[in-house]
Amino acid sequence: MTLTRTETYKVFIDAVWDNNPINIQMLGICSALAVTVQLKTAIVMGLAMTFVVSLSNLFVSLLRNTIPRNIRIIVELAIISSLVILCDEFLRAFMYDISKQLSVFVGLIITNCIVLGRAESFAMGNRPYISFIDGLGNGCGYASVLIIVAAIRELLGSGSLVGVKMVPEAFYAAGYEDMGFMLVAPAAFIIIGLLVWLQKTIKKDS
Amino acid sequence: MSDYMKSIVFALVLCLVCSVLLTSASVGLRPYQQRNLKVDRQKNILLAVGLIRAGKTYSPERITQLYDDHIRCLWISPAGNLMTPSAATKDALHVYLNITTEQTIKNYIIPINTRGLWGRIKGYLALEKDGETVAGFTVYKHSETPGLGGEIEKQWFQENFKGKKIVNQENEFVSVQIAKGKVEDNISKEKREHYVDGISGATLTGKYLSRGLESVLKTYEPVSVQFRQNRLMRLPTDKSGCEPENRPATQKDETS
Repeated sequence: MTLTRTETYKVFIDAVWDNNPINIQMLGICSALAVTVQLKTAIVMGLAMTFVVSLSNLFVSLLRNTIPRNIRIIVELAIISSLVILCDEFLRAFMYDISKQLSVFVGLIITNCIVLGRAESFAMGNRPYISFIDGLGNGCGYASVLIIVAAIRELLGSGSLVGVKMVPEAFYAAGYEDMGFMLVAPAAFIIIGLLVWLQKTIKKDS
Repeated sequence: MSDYMKSIVFALVLCLVCSVLLTSASVGLRPYQQRNLKVDRQKNILLAVGLIRAGKTYSPERITQLYDDHIRCLWISPAGNLMTPSAATKDALHVYLNITTEQTIKNYIIPINTRGLWGRIKGYLALEKDGETVAGFTVYKHSETPGLGGEIEKQWFQENFKGKKIVNQENEFVSVQIAKGKVEDNISKEKREHYVDGISGATLTGKYLSRGLESVLKTYEPVSVQFRQNRLMRLPTDKSGCEPENRPATQKDETS
């Protein structure tokens, strides 16, 4: 059996590409606009999201046969919020500056529709292992879009990547200017729009 | 067991597990978080007087070292007299000093803790030793809306405070205010040195911050008067006696 035929691969690639939470399902756009001014915050946010969505999928799936139907949304939310708070506490202890920049957006992962959506629609009906992979895929799909958007915004808006100056001084001397528009939220909207267009075109062709 | 009971038991067990997990994480990580907060506070005091620059990264050790070398703090009674840390009363004023390597005072720094639109705004306002010119302003904690009132933590906003006067030509206290819009367009020429540019879309944050700065500066007027009259030039000998964490228990906690 080749790698591309395994269920793991299919579930993962479906979440990252065919059903990418941001580009295809249009979920979690709010945080994608807010944290993509700099690459560093986008990477951390992507990691935090991947951590939360994969583990919440795993735990919900492990408990899926014990969770009473009538309180299942509350149970899912309790698991998700515990993971998010855990994540937030860790960031505040070991990555203080980044957690300050991310401010409320780590906490807001709780309300991100991707997490509850995957728990409710996938983890409640699938085995723990495959649910975990689905969460991992969705987290990576979310993170990859964030990272692409942030890389474009930081490069064009501040002339740097991960805080390291990329545009040489000579360019500025020759009259090049950073694009201030990239630093405001609407810029992310436009870039995400272009990404959606690009992905749909590629998908149609293949 | 009925379904009803099952739901309740499940919910209780889940709550218990989650709360134990979160409590232990919170307690276990607190020392690290507290250390970060302390370094962050020191960093902001240094930022307010321009000893470090915004946007550059410094190691926590470097910040603590700079802080120990350059910052002293003292208690001053509401009447404007120096107090020893042990004698500090509840209404004593907490002032930080920025000293040069020759042990002379360059600026003094006032902690700001005031009401914002959505929560407390905490920061530092540094004044030159002439007692009337603002040397710098930083905000280290606030709950204002990111992108609107949240701009108070940005460099462009804080830079505007530099060089503003808190007293007018007649030597009367007027505080420093946040204008509505740009200072150039909205404030008459003779008053411009008491105003900084406002943030568009954050009129209320500006209003609260103006009011807060005024009341804090008014409280600290006795100290500023001492500086204006050149009377507060003696350095405290005690190095760390009045750091907020060493405060007597009766003091209200400034860092919380």
